[in-house]
Amino acid sequence: MTDLMNAALTTPSDREIRVERVFNASRDKVWKAMTDPKLLAQWWGRGNKLVVEKLDLVRGGHWRVVEHADGQTHGFEGRYREVTPPERIVQTFEWDGMPGHVILETMTLEDLGDDRTKLVTVSLFMTNQDRDGMMQSGMEGGMNQSYQALDRVLAAMN
Amino acid sequence: MRQRPAIACAKLALSCANTQAAAIPLRTGPVLHRLNHMVQYSNTTIDATFAAVADPTRRGILERLGAGERSISDLAAAYDMTLTGMKKHVHVLEVAGLVVTEKVGRTRQCRVGPARLEEEAVWIANYRAMLEARLDRLGDFLGHTHGDDV
Repeated sequence: MTDLMNAALTTPSDREIRVERVFNASRDKVWKAMTDPKLLAQWWGRGNKLVVEKLDLVRGGHWRVVEHADGQTHGFEGRYREVTPPERIVQTFEWDGMPGHVILETMTLEDLGDDRTKLVTVSLFMTNQDRDGMMQSGMEGGMNQSYQALDRVLAAMN
Repeated sequence: MRQRPAIACAKLALSCANTQAAAIPLRTGPVLHRLNHMVQYSNTTIDATFAAVADPTRRGILERLGAGERSISDLAAAYDMTLTGMKKHVHVLEVAGLVVTEKVGRTRQCRVGPARLEEEAVWIANYRAMLEARLDRLGDFLGHTHGDDV
């Protein structure tokens, strides 16, 4: 189980975040957890209630999930640009708080054998202006929570 | 780079250091300041800035400096830390541009630096923390399900 916590984080450029993570599960199993709405609802919300409103898993298909936390709702959505079971999903990611500002997420599943799978997620911010725009929406209120989450993750990585 | 008012730095640092428990990183709120779209970004400062504010002690230092200048020995005393240990923390903040230091007589004074904490560090930290939390949860989920469940 320990290698589950070993997420490898890099920022290849000022517009990208790359996260590598190994799971002790077969590639088919990880794929299913990421693409079956009932299973997705059990983990994507990070412990918060998650409603999967739409998950049309085809190229051009629309996905939309709504996270419920502290009496507030946070919608996230996008479209699938590439769906290649069980190894690759490319999708856009938008948060309702900043409509029109898109992150491109590329998720690649690598079969390591022995029921181990490496998930590599590369998130590309479309432009620096988009990133500025995200900030303009007033994200300071989220800082406490995010740094808390960061602290927990960093602590867990030790 | 534009000089950020000390009060805003203090507010940011304070919110970083706050210890309320909650999970969601993205949240709408009042727009406390407007950003200048013309500001130039340095590609190399992202990791340095992120590393600098990922540490609770360093966030605490920023919070204190938001209230006014402090010497390294003041800061060391406040954290019950050796001068050497505090110098290392201040150095990390200085490299990220979040703090500047100046030798005054026999002491080294620290104050809030010109780098602005928000763009790179906050958005990347938010998104990244969310991504990691999701992967943690997926790891737990996969670890706790067996056979037919998935």
